[in-house]
Amino acid sequence: MTNDFMLLMPLIIITAGAISLMLVAAFEKVTIEQASFCCMGIFGIAFLMQLSNCITGNVTPYETVFNNMLVISNFTRVAGLIILGCGFFTAMSAQTYFKQNNFCTTEFYSLITFSACGMLLLTMVQELISVFIALEIMSLAIYILVGYDRKNKTAAEAVMKYLMLGAFAGAFFTMGAALIYGGAHSTQFSSIGQFVAENGFFNNPALVAGSFFVLVAFLFKAAAFPFHAWVIDVYDGASAPITGYMATGLKTAIFAVFANFLVADESLRSSWVNYLFYFSVFTMFVGNLIAIGQDTLKRMLAASGIVHTGYLLIALVAVSADNFSGNVILYYLAAYAVGTLGMFAALSYLGGEGEKRKSFDDFKGLAQVRPYSAAAITIFLLSMAGIPPTAGFMGKFFVITSAIDAGQIALAVFGIISSILSMWYYLRLIISMYFHEATDSFEDTTSNGLAPIGTFILAACVLIIGLYPVII
Amino acid sequence: MIQSYLTVSILLFCIGIVGVISRRNVFTVFMSIELMLNAANLAFVTFARLHQTMDGHVLALIVMAVAAAEAGLALAVVILLHKHKGQLDTNVFSLLKG
Repeated sequence: MTNDFMLLMPLIIITAGAISLMLVAAFEKVTIEQASFCCMGIFGIAFLMQLSNCITGNVTPYETVFNNMLVISNFTRVAGLIILGCGFFTAMSAQTYFKQNNFCTTEFYSLITFSACGMLLLTMVQELISVFIALEIMSLAIYILVGYDRKNKTAAEAVMKYLMLGAFAGAFFTMGAALIYGGAHSTQFSSIGQFVAENGFFNNPALVAGSFFVLVAFLFKAAAFPFHAWVIDVYDGASAPITGYMATGLKTAIFAVFANFLVADESLRSSWVNYLFYFSVFTMFVGNLIAIGQDTLKRMLAASGIVHTGYLLIALVAVSADNFSGNVILYYLAAYAVGTLGMFAALSYLGGEGEKRKSFDDFKGLAQVRPYSAAAITIFLLSMAGIPPTAGFMGKFFVITSAIDAGQIALAVFGIISSILSMWYYLRLIISMYFHEATDSFEDTTSNGLAPIGTFILAACVLIIGLYPVII
Repeated sequence: MIQSYLTVSILLFCIGIVGVISRRNVFTVFMSIELMLNAANLAFVTFARLHQTMDGHVLALIVMAVAAAEAGLALAVVILLHKHKGQLDTNVFSLLKG
């Protein structure tokens, strides 16, 4: 009983922290600076709590109270660690970002914590309606964060697009849950899995239609082809720290719940693998094509996020429902998270007032003016492109070997081709940073703040995770 | 009898999808999404009746609560958009082009 409590402790800390931050925001004495430190503290404590929980196998906390709706395993634990880390570094970059942009209020940090609460819940839930609730806790907070700059017209448009399409996907998810409930008599993953194992999958139209709808909703949230169009606009409209948070934390949570749903039963998984194959290939290549055509950095990173979703789908195709561990997915998510978070932390302090530095050209000659920042950005880009000895390389290596082990040779080949294509737009920024004369003096960028520190910690993490893959 | 309820539910869902795709007013689009959620609720209740369990009723209530939270945020966004442009036609919002 006490062990169950300890296992849920990170979630409790995050939720209590979010609520108290919201209440504290009512006092005018509290500055946004203090709020950001509180937010970091909450994430830090929850991270350490999560780290100290050791579990083997699946634990169902408070079986009778929660009616088996939550299951905690090593997979959910590590996914939770990644999410808490993302929240910590987002608060860090937001602290510096809001020295140059002043649309922040104290509630900003409360909302970051609330969305982390939804994400943590999402990694653990094993029941469709709980998934819906967790999804909405996370999404509602993220919608507000995207449109936080109320005077900015681009942000307002971004939140409109995201909210309309997100709610549309949410409606699909609910309908899917209703149909699965009709087909399988239950909304719990384990009961659905049992039902499918006993009665088959394709002879039950409600179940097929329902899982199709649920799959559509997941693919939408994970920004996979053909539901990727919103990503670029939304990432472009949101502020830099929030874009980084959405690209990493949100994706981790979605892939955790996606994997949990797929491995509910082997026949459920094997019936969808063939379709996921095509989704994954198209996601990678469409993402690459979009990324090559972009001129602004944020849109390029958004498009590269689509490509990374493609790689994660490869890893998802390769998992097996029997003795599922999800190590490959988690390693890739961690590698991608440190690279992307670092990139957006760097953009948070280099972007300047109102994020005026946007395009590749604006960062020309950064290496001459800010050599350390340029070096850190180079490490992140090389990691995303998958060049050794970075974390991104090991992540891609594990994904592709797992695809080969699962017999998906074609998928592995497509993954490698797409990885070569993606060099084009990552190297483009490196070239513009190192091989051009500096036109901008970057004088207005602050060096005193937490975002530069966060950037260098993350750059070190990229190399550490890459050199010692055992840690994860 | 159960089948007719399900037919109504699926019809409502399809009307919702058509509304989201074809309407150009932000407000109408959100209303169509609510329609889709209500279709799902009807399906939940129908299946609960079919299986003779209470689960579906509970789930429908929870979906309603979440939908209300979403509607609250959606209305706030509608007001924000109206402040910026003075109208709610989606064609007006064209700063971002995928």
